[in-house]
Amino acid sequence: MAFASIEFKGSSFTLSVLQLKTSLLVDIRADLTKKIAQAPDFFYLVPLVINIEKINDSIDYQAVKLLIEELNFTFVGFTGSVDKEQRQLIRELGFSFVNTARASTTNGTSKKTTAAVVVEKAEKIDSAPQRQLYTDKVHRGQIRSGQQIYAKNQNLVVIGSVSAGAEVIADGNIHVYGALRGRAIAGATGHIHAQIYCQNLEAELVSINGNYWLSESMEDHWGSPAHINLTDNELTSAKLI
Amino acid sequence: MARIIVVTSGKGGVGKTTSSAAIGLGLALKGNKVVLIDFDIGLRNLDLIMGCERRVVYDFVNVINGEATLNQALIKDKRVSSLSVLPASQTRDKDALNKENVGKVLEELGKSYDFIVCDSPAGIEAGAMMALYYADEAIVTTNPEVSSVRDSDRILGMLASRSRRAELGLEPIKEHLLLTRYSPKRVAEGEMLSVEDVEDILSIPLLGVIPESQAVLKASNAGEPVILDTDSDAGQAYQDVVDRLLGDTVDFRFLVAEKKGIFSRMFGG
Repeated sequence: MAFASIEFKGSSFTLSVLQLKTSLLVDIRADLTKKIAQAPDFFYLVPLVINIEKINDSIDYQAVKLLIEELNFTFVGFTGSVDKEQRQLIRELGFSFVNTARASTTNGTSKKTTAAVVVEKAEKIDSAPQRQLYTDKVHRGQIRSGQQIYAKNQNLVVIGSVSAGAEVIADGNIHVYGALRGRAIAGATGHIHAQIYCQNLEAELVSINGNYWLSESMEDHWGSPAHINLTDNELTSAKLI
Repeated sequence: MARIIVVTSGKGGVGKTTSSAAIGLGLALKGNKVVLIDFDIGLRNLDLIMGCERRVVYDFVNVINGEATLNQALIKDKRVSSLSVLPASQTRDKDALNKENVGKVLEELGKSYDFIVCDSPAGIEAGAMMALYYADEAIVTTNPEVSSVRDSDRILGMLASRSRRAELGLEPIKEHLLLTRYSPKRVAEGEMLSVEDVEDILSIPLLGVIPESQAVLKASNAGEPVILDTDSDAGQAYQDVVDRLLGDTVDFRFLVAEKKGIFSRMFGG
């Protein structure tokens, strides 16, 4: 029977696999935290499958899930070549057990490759310029109607106001030490962590990573110092001070 | 060296020509040698406001094209001998001017005048750019309403980026805010932006506030700049503007609605 509104399809995805070598949550947390610190952007909300085949003693599955979610990963499920009973237990606890061609073949070399790929990827990101380390483009003075300032691969700091009809754009964050009355577009080339700060929010439009608000959505902090960011792909505003 | 002042606004009909005429005449009355130039080629108005429209023989474009000398084109004011007007052409368009020749004319005038007041056309096109290009100072004429303020903001951006001073990296043009057609009563009723609102948006120093006044229309039609009407509030406000341009500190007037006296209240005046 065909459904008008939904359709199930199979598809393959590349997922990151976290190979656990110990059941000691304290150690896992410490190492993960260090790893994330090297490239926070890369790991943020990354879907993660936990491979537990190297764990010989018992492990608190619920605690593992909570830990990785706390560290801002998206928990997918567990994997690894484990016996049927363990698999059953995982399912009974309400977690999905992800079967992969590699994991289920119990082929040691390919498992290594999976883990290596993750590490390699992370390493690559480490050497790339990190988004957090954007330098600042500083503009002193008012940005007038009709003017446009673009901070390419930079944050934009405006010491002055942005007039109605003016446009400020940055690949990073935007700070306005004055009134923001024109348009502000942060994270212009895609950056979910981009932020907009201003001392007086009266903008025509604010946008982060392609999500935008017109004036009418800014009522909560209209005319006051505000901070705008992106949470779960939704713009949110907060009182700045 | 003469001070070159452009009177500009972006938006039309806000009082550029009225202000140019009043300020030019006011500066001359204070003993300065002043020349008023009408940059609004094709929409010649300044000569009407100055009351010299019947004496125009040659104009700015003739001078630019070398068809007349400056002395032939300049019209000496009959009220104040230290004031001259360089009228615009009514038959040509704004493309008749070019930067190089305008520069030469201004340089020539600069030798014998203290002030060169350039009355800019509206808009942000070539004509307006020509008027502001050589300016040392700008009087940004603004009405207390949002579209005028927005256009003034745009012009302020041009002053900061398209002028000679900006191109050569010299000290920026000195900007002055002149608020015209101001009605304290309507501000109090919330129908009009207040001085503070406009200052907040444009953030440039306030040069003057000219109250909305019947005297202005009367003066325009008579060809007598309103500054000569010393009994009118607008005339007095322009006088304050002139004094401030000359470096005096003068308190701002006409910012609050006049309270009606007991007689006018009784008799509904």
